[in-house]
Amino acid sequence: MALERYEFLTRLAARLPKEALVMSTYIGAVSFEWAAITEEHPSTAQLGQMGDVIGLAVGLALALPHRKVVCLDGDGSVLMELGQLVVMGQESPLNLAVFVVDNGVYESIGSGKSGPRATATAGKTDLAAVARGCGIAHAVNVETISELEREMGLAFSQPGCRFINVRTQPGHARVPPRQSDGFEAKYRFVRYIEQLEGKQILQLARQDRQLMKP
Amino acid sequence: MLDAAAREALAGLKEAGIDFVSGLPDGWQRNLHELIEADPDIHYVPVCNEGVGFSVCAGAWLGGRKTALIMENSGLRVAAEYIARISLGCGIPVVLLLSYRGDLGDTEHWAIPHAMVAEPLLGALRIPYQVVRHRADLRAAIKRAQRLSEAQLHPVALLISGDCIRDD
Repeated sequence: MALERYEFLTRLAARLPKEALVMSTYIGAVSFEWAAITEEHPSTAQLGQMGDVIGLAVGLALALPHRKVVCLDGDGSVLMELGQLVVMGQESPLNLAVFVVDNGVYESIGSGKSGPRATATAGKTDLAAVARGCGIAHAVNVETISELEREMGLAFSQPGCRFINVRTQPGHARVPPRQSDGFEAKYRFVRYIEQLEGKQILQLARQDRQLMKP
Repeated sequence: MLDAAAREALAGLKEAGIDFVSGLPDGWQRNLHELIEADPDIHYVPVCNEGVGFSVCAGAWLGGRKTALIMENSGLRVAAEYIARISLGCGIPVVLLLSYRGDLGDTEHWAIPHAMVAEPLLGALRIPYQVVRHRADLRAAIKRAQRLSEAQLHPVALLISGDCIRDD
């Protein structure tokens, strides 16, 4: 029996290092469940969408190499842009752990009479094998709680570029939808990093220099 | 790109404070990619797809880096999906340096569609842009593009052509 996604996300939130940053999708069931579990904590950037979450996480990990970065993506999203795995493998940031929720269906679009629409991972595609082929040294499939706990233990205690494909069963928890859009999520995350890193990122307060002269 | 123009572009990037560049080399800007890759002040991330390059730049900006994506104008079509999702959807700045294939003076028939699409697509993506045809304008244009990009939290593009590319 594959894992339940909500249990996986709950366990991930419990094991997450205190000052780790999370790059996550901002639409769909994963997004709503993660937001509910973490109470929309500002350490998560819910900014990614189909095909760009891992790319965003690679950039963030390269920009802040001293900070653990966790990426939370879904199988349909990874499949949309496999080129993200190429740059992840080429750069191999040692502070990046990508967790993919792989339930083999496009769950967020709902189900018709024939059930949910399958993704390619329900067929012949093995994302962990693709990741290994792209040069990501540690790329595994996880199907049990003990495997999941072992992989999280490794990811959060040791440096390494990791791709952990978590096979889950379809189905979602009953949680309220997230209440912030991408702009609010962006500001919240950047302000959090500014505080955490002690540096200014947003340059919104550049007033006219003439007005500022004594 | 002429070597003198590539050096001007590199100087513009550095004076603009850009310290993170991604891109996919093309025939016109290959030497600029090489200069940037060799520069110790800029983190260079080569990609095989301009959309991925845009995502990587956006992620790096969230971490406090000033970023640019360098590509052929055809790459804008590939990156458009992620520009729309990330920048129209969240407001994230990235400077775009595009070679203006298919502009006046180009000799390649395959480049013509690139020119037909580039400016309308920049308009659709609400990206302010400038066509840079004179080498002497390149450095200042990059600095101004970066300033506006940070102010509006959205990409700004430069289409590079003319005597930046050829001496005729």
